[in-house]
Amino acid sequence: MKKGILLIGALWFMFVGNAIAKDVVIVTSFPKELFETYKKTFEAKHPGVNVVVNSKQTNAGVTYLRETRAKPEADIFWVSAPDAFQTLDSDGLLEKYAPPKEIMAKIPAKIGNFPIHDPEGKYFGFAISGYGLMWNKNYLKAHKLPAPKEWTDLTDPRYYNHLVISAPSRSGTTHLTIETILQAYGWDKGWALLLNSGGNMGSITERSFGVPEAVISGQYGIGVVIDFFGLSAIASGQPVEFAYPSLTSVVPASVGIVKGGPNPQEARMFVDYLLSEAGQTVLFAPEIARLPVIPELYAKAPKDYPNPFKRKLGGVEFNDQLSSSRRDVVNSLYDHIITYRHRELRDAWKAVYGAEAALGKSKSPQAAQGRNLAAEARKLLTQAPISDKRAADKEVTGAFRSKSGLKSQLETEWENFARGNYGKAKELAEKALAAAR
Amino acid sequence: MQAGEVTLEKVGKRYGEQWVVRRIDLHVERGEFFTLLGPSGCGKTTLLRMIAGFVQPDEGWVRIDGEPVNRVPPWRRDVGLVFQSYALWPHLSVFENVAFGLRERKLPADEIIRRVRAALNQVALTGTEERRPSQLSGGQQQRVALARTLVVQPRVLLLDEPLSNLDAKLRVEMRLELQKLQRDIGLTTIYVTHDQEEALALSTRIAVINQGRIVQQGEPRAIYEQPADDFVAGFIGQANLLPAIIEGLSEHSLQLITESGETLEISRSSLTASGAPFRAGDSIQLSIRPEAVRISDGGEQCAGPRLAGTIVASAYQGAFVEYEISVAKKTFKVRVANPKGKPLYRTGDRVQLTFALEDLVIVPRVVQ
Amino acid sequence: MSGPRASIDAWQGAILALLLAVLCAFIVYPVGRVLWISLSDDQSNLTLLHFANFFRRPLFRDALWNTLWSGFLVVLFSALFALPLAYVLARYEFRGKLLLQTAATLPLVIPPFVGAVALQLILGRSGMVNLLLMQGFGVSIPFMEGLAGVVLVQTLHFFPFIMLNTVVSLANIDSSLEEAAQNLGCHGLRLFRRVTLPLMLPGFIAGSLLTFIRAIDDLGTPLMLNYKNLLAPQAYLRITTIGMDDVDGYVVCVVLVVLSLAALLAARKYLSLAEYATVQRAAPITEKLQGATSALVWLVIVIVLGISLLPHIGIAVLSFAKVWSFTLLPETYTLGHYHEILFRVPHFVINTLIYTLLAAAIDIVLGATIAYLLLRTRLPGRNLLDAIATLPLAIPGVVLAVGYLRVFHGWDFPGAGGPLTSSWMILVIAYTMRRLPYTVRACYAALQQVHLALEESAQNLGANRWRTFVKITLPMITGGLIAGGLIAFITSCVELASTIMLVPRIELGPISYGIYLYMQSPLGRGAGAALGVVAILLVSAGTYLTHRVFGGRAGSAFRI
Repeated sequence: MKKGILLIGALWFMFVGNAIAKDVVIVTSFPKELFETYKKTFEAKHPGVNVVVNSKQTNAGVTYLRETRAKPEADIFWVSAPDAFQTLDSDGLLEKYAPPKEIMAKIPAKIGNFPIHDPEGKYFGFAISGYGLMWNKNYLKAHKLPAPKEWTDLTDPRYYNHLVISAPSRSGTTHLTIETILQAYGWDKGWALLLNSGGNMGSITERSFGVPEAVISGQYGIGVVIDFFGLSAIASGQPVEFAYPSLTSVVPASVGIVKGGPNPQEARMFVDYLLSEAGQTVLFAPEIARLPVIPELYAKAPKDYPNPFKRKLGGVEFNDQLSSSRRDVVNSLYDHIITYRHRELRDAWKAVYGAEAALGKSKSPQAAQGRNLAAEARKLLTQAPISDKRAADKEVTGAFRSKSGLKSQLETEWENFARGNYGKAKELAEKALAAAR
Repeated sequence: MQAGEVTLEKVGKRYGEQWVVRRIDLHVERGEFFTLLGPSGCGKTTLLRMIAGFVQPDEGWVRIDGEPVNRVPPWRRDVGLVFQSYALWPHLSVFENVAFGLRERKLPADEIIRRVRAALNQVALTGTEERRPSQLSGGQQQRVALARTLVVQPRVLLLDEPLSNLDAKLRVEMRLELQKLQRDIGLTTIYVTHDQEEALALSTRIAVINQGRIVQQGEPRAIYEQPADDFVAGFIGQANLLPAIIEGLSEHSLQLITESGETLEISRSSLTASGAPFRAGDSIQLSIRPEAVRISDGGEQCAGPRLAGTIVASAYQGAFVEYEISVAKKTFKVRVANPKGKPLYRTGDRVQLTFALEDLVIVPRVVQ
Repeated sequence: MSGPRASIDAWQGAILALLLAVLCAFIVYPVGRVLWISLSDDQSNLTLLHFANFFRRPLFRDALWNTLWSGFLVVLFSALFALPLAYVLARYEFRGKLLLQTAATLPLVIPPFVGAVALQLILGRSGMVNLLLMQGFGVSIPFMEGLAGVVLVQTLHFFPFIMLNTVVSLANIDSSLEEAAQNLGCHGLRLFRRVTLPLMLPGFIAGSLLTFIRAIDDLGTPLMLNYKNLLAPQAYLRITTIGMDDVDGYVVCVVLVVLSLAALLAARKYLSLAEYATVQRAAPITEKLQGATSALVWLVIVIVLGISLLPHIGIAVLSFAKVWSFTLLPETYTLGHYHEILFRVPHFVINTLIYTLLAAAIDIVLGATIAYLLLRTRLPGRNLLDAIATLPLAIPGVVLAVGYLRVFHGWDFPGAGGPLTSSWMILVIAYTMRRLPYTVRACYAALQQVHLALEESAQNLGANRWRTFVKITLPMITGGLIAGGLIAFITSCVELASTIMLVPRIELGPISYGIYLYMQSPLGRGAGAALGVVAILLVSAGTYLTHRVFGGRAGSAFRI
């Protein structure tokens, strides 16, 4: 009986009494490999400080910080997507900070056209990331598929059911990829590409890590990923390859201090460390494989390591104000017309591909008519239910921040739009196929 | 349907190393009420279940109407079994319970209705057709079980301690009803019980079973008055056992000397035909029933032996009084019928016991 | 009434009131808040608007339909698989019976979401089977696509529940009921149809309904298989992504609870019907199997064993694999994953042990107390206590977690250094409450066996209530208490739904959280699988101990 009390008491202190050491509490969406390495190296440099990690997917992290604003429990927010930081900033949840001059001097102001740090000092870029395509060599070989190069390649009918992407609402980095495509190709062409590639997706995962996992395990052949997923997988010997499309954006992953966090001093120490040379060198580790923001460090980089400051990565001038303002709208739109309707979308595209293939070889007198039908079907499958302008409209973007009825109304509209179009497209495609025979 | 006859020929059953039924031979005549009587665990229920077909004998043959049925499964033997727990199906109504066997025999619907009604009438349960077994009393459930078995008109009726779950008064009532029913129908009945009163009251013949063997078979009166050994003597009714030694024999009588030194002379004709020849010097066991012993306080003339003793306990039962009397080193049980007008003895009273020599029976000890 | 009697009653009454308060705080109130939010608008008036919106959205209608349909399919396929097995196990003796029994219960020790990962490796698009099929025939079979994958994984995991339940139902049939039918000429299939089936049906249906509840509650499997179109994942996603103010998440939770509650009440009703056929005679009748039938049975044993072992083998291989991509078997192997989870970050395993054992201990105390109040007192309100303690059966893990997050975040709990939701205690509380019904049932059944006369005779000989409890009652119910605690332990080890929503920080996460975390890292599957193997070992150990304590009646542990 006594022993039991002692044991329970000991356990109690072990967990609760841990408050005696100093903590820095980090909310991050980064994978285990990254934050554990940083935890180790930071704690080695600053003994007496305990790094506590709260792993949350980006949007969940934003939600979490919003919900605990009255009594923040976290010190640091550390994710890839800059627009998540902008959202937090506009909610007033970030603390301003000026790291030491020696550290900041080594980091340039921009990468391409994109500012590395927030001009107001609320958050700081600590690594550069690009977005690209990752594929499984064994898989492509077995299915006799060519390696992809550009985003537009994803619309190739040969890739039907071999692609994988994660839902932008569940992955900050995928959202940025979608935005990049929309900004690179324009709203209408961009959505056409997304809808077409969406039809080729075998699966739309819930977690961003689901994509590299699916490609590495050989479940799917090609995935849309952020670069370090591909690079770290290659470094650990997996049979995969990675490439940046020519139209891609390169944006910083950032770190910011939470306003009113419990351990402000330790938070600042952490930010300083991340931006210092020592902290930046950690990014070269094969399991992390990210791109530092200190240009001169690339002299010490491993062989063939991509250098965003030298290489002309990009080609897209990323407008991140636009991105963050319409973030919720874009995410919800993608979900409602692609993610939630994925099966119908896929079935429709399958029918269209089938019809087009048959029409290509067909000598039937109705072939011309069939081609018209197929083209119409295609049109139905590449339309967005809302215009560029309206999507950026303040009324609409505001509606998506609150519980308002407009959001529900729009979402229902989009759902019905999708269902209607895809069903009709499938019908037309089937008619076209019949015409081909 | 003809009443059947049942024969068990050298039937034996063992579980593991243990034989629970050993080389049993018995034959039940048509229309007989045959009881298997014995204490718990003696094997009587196993025997019954072998006749029903739920247990396979390891040795010997079971025959019904002369045909060996060892290989015949229970559903084809045409013997009716009434279970100790009644085994009424809770999900079926009384009507459906009784109709079950008729439905198995694929009789036409109207005949089923007719026969079920008749069966329920026979056991005085008309009007309960739509009830569930759980809504009936114990006695009513038992009668449904009976009706269910009788309605299919089996060759033989098997009853496994059917009255043991009823309270005392109900038991006696049901016993009478069973007896009447059996006589009216004339069905061969094999009845299993541990209650000797039931056995004596109901049976045409009884087989007393102990440790898997038949110890004695015969009519109730013969079993009661001439028990084959001290087990039977003690199991059916009560017995006072007197060890004695044969002093001398003659053609017509035996001279015996009891443990307490009494000399007795018994005529041979009143002895049981136990078969073993007597020799001088043999030690034997005598048995006398409590109701055959009379108590006097001296002064009476009587022909038989006298034993002096002290009352150790007395139990007044209304119709009789039972005394326990210590005589020398033994305790005698004495039952005095119709105590009205006779003195009631109390603990400590000195009394004289006396009995008629013809009431003595020699009972061998049970061989272990 | 005065004196010692009154003071005993006062003590008991106080305990009852305390228990009611605790259970209300941790069961009724959180769920009530969820219900309230789903039923109220911005001005806190009652409204059905949110529910109306729910049914208007095709997304949610689809999720509801999929949930009902998949739950039904899981029960159907499990029953098809489990019934013949149960009948063979309950009614026949044959060599290899023990092997079949073990094989058929193997799926129970692997949590469904771990099984999902393993089956993905074996039956997935690029899994072993499909790779072979593609190489050989050029086709691949979509075993694991969409809802089919979820149903497959859940069926493989849940069929033993139904089987065990059915074995118990069959064993509980009074054999004389079947013999009476045989005596009247009925046998074989007719006997099964007319007598055996109706008598075992209520117990079987109760078991099926409980399996249905577990299937629709399962959050881990759909998440692992990336199938979101079900109610549980929808609730989880909406609350974590869109936030605690998103009403739709709460509405989904309420719908889940309504479904589970309806199934639970129906199961209760069927179980009470089942009681009327319980055993009078001791051993059930079994037959020996010979010859051709025996060979057929061995074939069945091999098939069942094979199917049951698939997930275990898959996970074990994965836990040793370094590179396994689009090949039949891993290209390279390593022990590194075990090193990782046992030495580098042992806190997952340690946390699991601490939380589950603590929860089991608390559950035993609560369960025994509630059973005592139910069986040995006549206090008013004790039936209410029983009802509340059984309620968690109908509350999916997702819903309880959502309720806790809503209620407990924001105000500080004394001694926790912050809100309850940021401390490990919230996990222990969640496990305790979710498993309470099992321990209450186990303690109740154990206490029922102790006749009042046994306690009264002790009191008659001079022992007071407390000493009677300690010297007479407690030793006699210890077996039941331990069994109840073991069940709480086994099921908490692999609890995922509440866990992933409530874990405040990684260091405080148990094994199931660790698996989820590792599976999110593309290079972490191996370590996740190693944790899965540890989970399997823990559950196996617990199950084995339960068998030892319960004897052959272990199946009855899973009935409620």
